[in-house]
Amino acid sequence: MAEGPIPVTVLTGFLGAGKTTLLNRILTEQHGLKLAVIENEFGEVGVDNQLVISSDEELFEMNNGCICCSVRGDLIRILGRLLKRKDRLDGILIETTGLANPAPVAQTFFTDDEIRTAFRLDAIVTVVDAKHVSTHLDAGDESVKQIGFADVIVLNKTDLVTAEELTKLKSRIHSINAVAKIHTTNNCAIPIKDVLNVGGFNLSRATELDPAFLEPEYPFEWAGAYALPQGNHDFVIGHVDHDHDHHDCGHDHHHEHDRNENELDVVILPLDNLNETDIHAARDLALKVFSDWEKKVVESENLALGATLNRLELKDGNGRFKIEIKTPGFYVVFEQCSEVPLHIQVCGENVKPGWQNDYHPAHSHNEDVTSVGIHEIGELDGKKLNAWISELLRVKGNDIYRMKGVISVKGSTKRLVFQGVHMLFDAKFDREWGSDKRMNTLVFIGKNLDRAALNASFKSCLA
Amino acid sequence: MNLTKFWAAQLDDYVIDLEWSRDGSLLAAASGSGPIEAYNAKDGAKRLSVSGHANGTNTLRFSPDSLVLASGGQDGCVKFWDPLAGQHTSTASIGNDWIEHIGFRPTLGSNTSLAASCGKKLSILKTDGSVLKQLPDAAKTISALAWDPEGGCLAAAHFGGVKLWDSDDWIVQKELTYANGINTLAWSPNSRWLVSGNADPSVHLWIPSEDAELHMSGYEGKVKHLSFDITSRWLATSGGRDACLWDCSGAGPEGREPNMLPHDAPVCALAFQNSHGILATGSLDGTLELWSPERKNPLRATVKMPAAATKIAWSWDDRYLAVGSTQGIIYVLKCEA
Repeated sequence: MAEGPIPVTVLTGFLGAGKTTLLNRILTEQHGLKLAVIENEFGEVGVDNQLVISSDEELFEMNNGCICCSVRGDLIRILGRLLKRKDRLDGILIETTGLANPAPVAQTFFTDDEIRTAFRLDAIVTVVDAKHVSTHLDAGDESVKQIGFADVIVLNKTDLVTAEELTKLKSRIHSINAVAKIHTTNNCAIPIKDVLNVGGFNLSRATELDPAFLEPEYPFEWAGAYALPQGNHDFVIGHVDHDHDHHDCGHDHHHEHDRNENELDVVILPLDNLNETDIHAARDLALKVFSDWEKKVVESENLALGATLNRLELKDGNGRFKIEIKTPGFYVVFEQCSEVPLHIQVCGENVKPGWQNDYHPAHSHNEDVTSVGIHEIGELDGKKLNAWISELLRVKGNDIYRMKGVISVKGSTKRLVFQGVHMLFDAKFDREWGSDKRMNTLVFIGKNLDRAALNASFKSCLA
Repeated sequence: MNLTKFWAAQLDDYVIDLEWSRDGSLLAAASGSGPIEAYNAKDGAKRLSVSGHANGTNTLRFSPDSLVLASGGQDGCVKFWDPLAGQHTSTASIGNDWIEHIGFRPTLGSNTSLAASCGKKLSILKTDGSVLKQLPDAAKTISALAWDPEGGCLAAAHFGGVKLWDSDDWIVQKELTYANGINTLAWSPNSRWLVSGNADPSVHLWIPSEDAELHMSGYEGKVKHLSFDITSRWLATSGGRDACLWDCSGAGPEGREPNMLPHDAPVCALAFQNSHGILATGSLDGTLELWSPERKNPLRATVKMPAAATKIAWSWDDRYLAVGSTQGIIYVLKCEA
């Protein structure tokens, strides 16, 4: 009998993106693997000695109690038939039509227990045409879903766009799906190892998430820590005539702000030390304070220090305010918008921040489909977690394309790893936490996800 | 009870189907990769050896008069063979989808006809390859076909239900709904029960003449194999590590505990004898077991084979058991009390 499940790779992408080129590349490469190809558009693959089967995208609507999903009946049939061989296949490639929704393909591997046992969905690979994808994304068609579902994105035809366009496109794709690996190619020239056996649905690899992605998005865009002496100082917003040493230069995100340009939210927190722990604690506190009621501050008034959200009233984007420092030391200022110049003046001289940082802006893109990461230290209550995920999938399951995560459950010495597609998910305890820091790392990719609500409701599961 | 090896034959790949001819003279087998062979029942001598279907053969059946062998394949064709002459006689090219299900109308006479499904298409063919009747397409791909034992009704299953076609005027007699995938269908020999083995996983039983239906669930896995004994009392089903035996006498199995016939691995093939009461079951670990369901200790014999059975078939006189394997070997075993 077979030695473990056969890996299956799903190739998606719009017509003309280069799926067939990629497929032919995989098939002609001397990898020594016995592969079968299941394709929709029959006859496009022209490689001898390969098993090519055409399929017709037949959907079965499954309804088991509260979980509804569609699966691909044609794949159940074809994959079942592919098992009826003396020699085991080394892998299967499924090429979907340009317009296909990847969900039923993925769901087939979750719901059909025979398929689940015999096969392993390795990854969804989406081929994207660098020249035309923006048009598709703007139209909000199935290509958004194909990117959202992907584990690997082959950004092809990069020779047809400028370097600048490519950078923009990559960041746009990243804002939709922050966990997929993006490879840029011409003619789909990509090493086979980047496409086959990548383990996108491997539970234990769910942790191999890009830490940069897990940086949550903040309601503030910039923070700077200043060493301030005792006394009354000026807090100046807007351009001051004589200098320009502030952080406003060189920012490249020219994003749309809903913000009224004559208002600016600022939080100022005292800091014991200029170290990472204290700064992170301040940042997390600022995150909470930014969702509090604001305190309006008009020209020449004192700003509140500590856990208060100051809303500065500006005139033509400018304003002069005061801060009164009773205890000399470090103070960190969190500013809503990094493009607005902000200065602290002690005796008329600008103080340079001893530390500063830009944060992911929360509204840098207008995509309906986005990735939301949750990163939370601590242990979760198993019951609350269960209730949370059930409710989440019941209400938002249709909008969640993919999810992955590693969770620390109170009472278990092992990591709980999970991954899912829409309402279906797999979870298991894998290895011991050991000396690793126990933390919770989750990623959701989907439509109309409410970042703040997801984070807040997740926190309520903490034990 | 004694099972001894009578003869064996080797195909190039997975034995995807096998069947004895009704007159007892031949055993035909098909390999999943395409080749079809037919052997003398008494000594295994090869009578037919053909390449079958391009890209693979899926199924084969003998006509009730044993004169014609039909096969369906991944090329969308049904091919007809003269097994004694060892020759191809005709081909019906039906469509682009696989032909996975075919069945001869089980009546002897001049009107030999074969039902064949190709995707959603259902065709009734004559043995010269011509189309006797083309039925309207099913809602989904047809996943099982079963003629009732008298040949008056053809049951065709798809995801969502079963259609019962009157085989005289080809009008739909009944539409039985079932909201999930159906893997296989079987009629009881007395035509009272029509049973589906389902993907959800369960077994659904209908009594079409009484518009009654029963549902038996609780299986570990999909139910892909069903077999009734000749008395129509016992229904054997796969769907887990046990072969599961339902008592269909009287009002049927609802409320009754099934007899569980244990294996160490999932059951992958099973067949009741044609006119006697022994059930043969095979599991994925290569074990083959014989059972007498009405005995207190039902297990009669156990044989371990080098590869799992893909299909089990009793010869029409019930003296021989043919077993196809995943490795392409066909074993013919003699069964003696």
